[in-house]
Amino acid sequence: MIEKKICMLGAFAVGKTSLVRRFVTSGFSEQYQTTIGVTVDKKSLSVDDRDLTLVLWDLYGEDEFQKLRRSYLRGTAGYLLVLDGLRRATLDIALRIQESVTDELGPVPFVALVNKHDRRVEWELTDQDLAELTQRGWPVLMSSAKTGQGVEDAFATLSRALIQTPPPSSRGDKHDGA
Amino acid sequence: MAPNSPPSVPDALYRTLLTRFHVAVLEHVAETRFRLLGEPPPWLVQLYPEAEHQANFSIDTRTPVLHNFLHDAAVAWEAQDNPLARSGFWTDHVLFNEPRHFDALALREGSHRLLLVQHHMESYDEQAALLQEARERALRQHEQDRGHRRTHQVLTTQLADSERSRDDLAAILQRLGLATLLIDGEGHVRFLSDSAIRLLEVPPSSASRAMHWEALLPSSKPDRLALQTLFRQPVSQRERAQCHIETPTGRRLRLEIELHDDPRDSLQRIVFLHDMTDVYHLRRLLELKAHFHDLIGKSRGMRQVYEQIQDLARVDSTVLIEGETGTGKELVARALHQASARRTGPFIAANCAGLTDSLLGSQLFGHKRGAFTGAIDDQPGLFEAAQDGVLFLDEIGDIPHTVQTHLLRVLQEKEVTRLGETKPRKINVRVVTATHHNLSQDVAKGMFRADLFYRIRVARLQLPPLRERKEDIPLLVTSFLTEGRASTGKTIHRPSPAAMAALMEYHWPGNVRELKSTIECAMIHCKGETLDASDLPSDIHQSNPILPPTPPPPTDERSRFVFALGQARGNRTKAARLLGMSRATFYRRLTELDLPPR
Repeated sequence: MIEKKICMLGAFAVGKTSLVRRFVTSGFSEQYQTTIGVTVDKKSLSVDDRDLTLVLWDLYGEDEFQKLRRSYLRGTAGYLLVLDGLRRATLDIALRIQESVTDELGPVPFVALVNKHDRRVEWELTDQDLAELTQRGWPVLMSSAKTGQGVEDAFATLSRALIQTPPPSSRGDKHDGA
Repeated sequence: MAPNSPPSVPDALYRTLLTRFHVAVLEHVAETRFRLLGEPPPWLVQLYPEAEHQANFSIDTRTPVLHNFLHDAAVAWEAQDNPLARSGFWTDHVLFNEPRHFDALALREGSHRLLLVQHHMESYDEQAALLQEARERALRQHEQDRGHRRTHQVLTTQLADSERSRDDLAAILQRLGLATLLIDGEGHVRFLSDSAIRLLEVPPSSASRAMHWEALLPSSKPDRLALQTLFRQPVSQRERAQCHIETPTGRRLRLEIELHDDPRDSLQRIVFLHDMTDVYHLRRLLELKAHFHDLIGKSRGMRQVYEQIQDLARVDSTVLIEGETGTGKELVARALHQASARRTGPFIAANCAGLTDSLLGSQLFGHKRGAFTGAIDDQPGLFEAAQDGVLFLDEIGDIPHTVQTHLLRVLQEKEVTRLGETKPRKINVRVVTATHHNLSQDVAKGMFRADLFYRIRVARLQLPPLRERKEDIPLLVTSFLTEGRASTGKTIHRPSPAAMAALMEYHWPGNVRELKSTIECAMIHCKGETLDASDLPSDIHQSNPILPPTPPPPTDERSRFVFALGQARGNRTKAARLLGMSRATFYRRLTELDLPPR
């Protein structure tokens, strides 16, 4: 069984914890509960006939109170970079995080996931913004942790990318019995 | 224990502190293996059960964050400056029934490489609560900002829409050329169309100010009161109000003001200004053509009379006015006086009919005291009274012969001698005479002096009878109704179609005087605002016109039909009525008599 460390990154309150909860337990809570530090979950899935266990590191959201601790990234095989469609400021934070992670880990696979699609009409992020992310070469998907829309697809897309990416020695993938 | 050395921490106290602060102290043995110093706390046993009974145990991926931290810890243990390394918080909700929060601290104490793992409870919750509150506040602020931005965007859009609508409406108003005002509940003008600005000649400096409508429409007090009333009236009672104003350049405008409620605001009024100045002047011109001083009529006959009066007003000759009774001979004489240069002099009217020689002579020429019985004082005559003016002698055909002689001398000599005096007095009087007689016939019969006739008939003015100018009847009726409204206070504005038809049908032997008295009489009887045929005297509304004397009707049937058609001026319906038969019978007989039905 392949095990991959996945980090959930993004600004605070974009829905990282909710996405993990939806993915792992199919649950959702309207109540916002901030994350301090890290919460780790595991989820096994099968992608392209290959079994995979994702070790999900749900990291606290970045803001003026908590900055990303680079040591948490150690061994990360890929990450979901979560944005909140309702807050354009989360795009700027995502850009900064992506740059920082690339500095730390190199070009690991990631998926930019624009969350809260259930409130699409209220989004501050525009189609133009999303087009610009795509032009940067980012894989951009949309999701709603509330409805579940796009959540499985996001993790599957990232998992597929992880499988297709050869594991460098610095990355934290482990094989049972290895 | 040395006297100056610090007291050592008793093991019991040390254990209590570790337990109290939920700290497990691990000493690094090798690679990922650690030795627990002291008793294993329950939470550590739950994370690593082997810690309870093994001398050392391995920290592995059961605690991924702690496991990950070992790398940072190793760096800290090897560093020269003996630093502290912190793992940061992590939460475990897999091995516990509820989430538990931990962090770890790596340090080196002498040769001991230590790892302190702490289970946080209250301190984590306090920190989490603070952060939660700060972030929720930030989210609320963001929502508020979003709300403000949305509101701003909506208002901006609405403003743009309303500005576009306003511009569209203004363009339409411009195109329509409507002079329009919008007046608020306090009477201030909130909007002026360009047409209104041009019409009222509002200076640019004033156009942008919210002027009060009374300042914008400077009018007379009665007009202003009428407009104030209009503003107070409910919609159902509003009619157009008329208003005369003078623009800043002195142009007199005659406006009709139409007032509407603003559907958006019940206190606001939309005002349309209709410039009726040209209409007013045109109407005045028409009225001038329909009136001449107190004479009313626009028929060809009356227009000729007006022209003759104007011609005769320019000369000073004697004038003879001829016309049936009631045709307005005295009015013509007065108009002639008013139109002439003698208008500033007196106009004296005298009726010559029915007076004896001496009385008429005395009245016309004056007398000396004692000239005859009853002459108790010197008395100037009407000729002297009319000095520099006009003396109108009505019914000149009725004056006695002796007065005719005396009158002729006065007219020839332009001097008058009072009865009982011998010395004549110079007079400067224009004599205008009138009669319903045919003076030529009277002259032929020897009843009127020919020389006097020619003297007074220097100029002649023939007045048409009303039956020959029936088109003037509506105008005359309107004028008499207006007079009647003023004198009776009744609000009778018009005759009904049936009443007007009866008035038009009637022959009017008494001419305008009879028409006037007819209207006065009808107004007494009228109960409503419209004069009905039943209000007219019976001889008029029963449609039995008194026809002028006509030759006796022919006896043979064909001639009777031709005669009736002639009487009815070709109107078949009237002709049938004159013959006392139905239209159907009339048409049938026409065919039988070989007369054209049309």
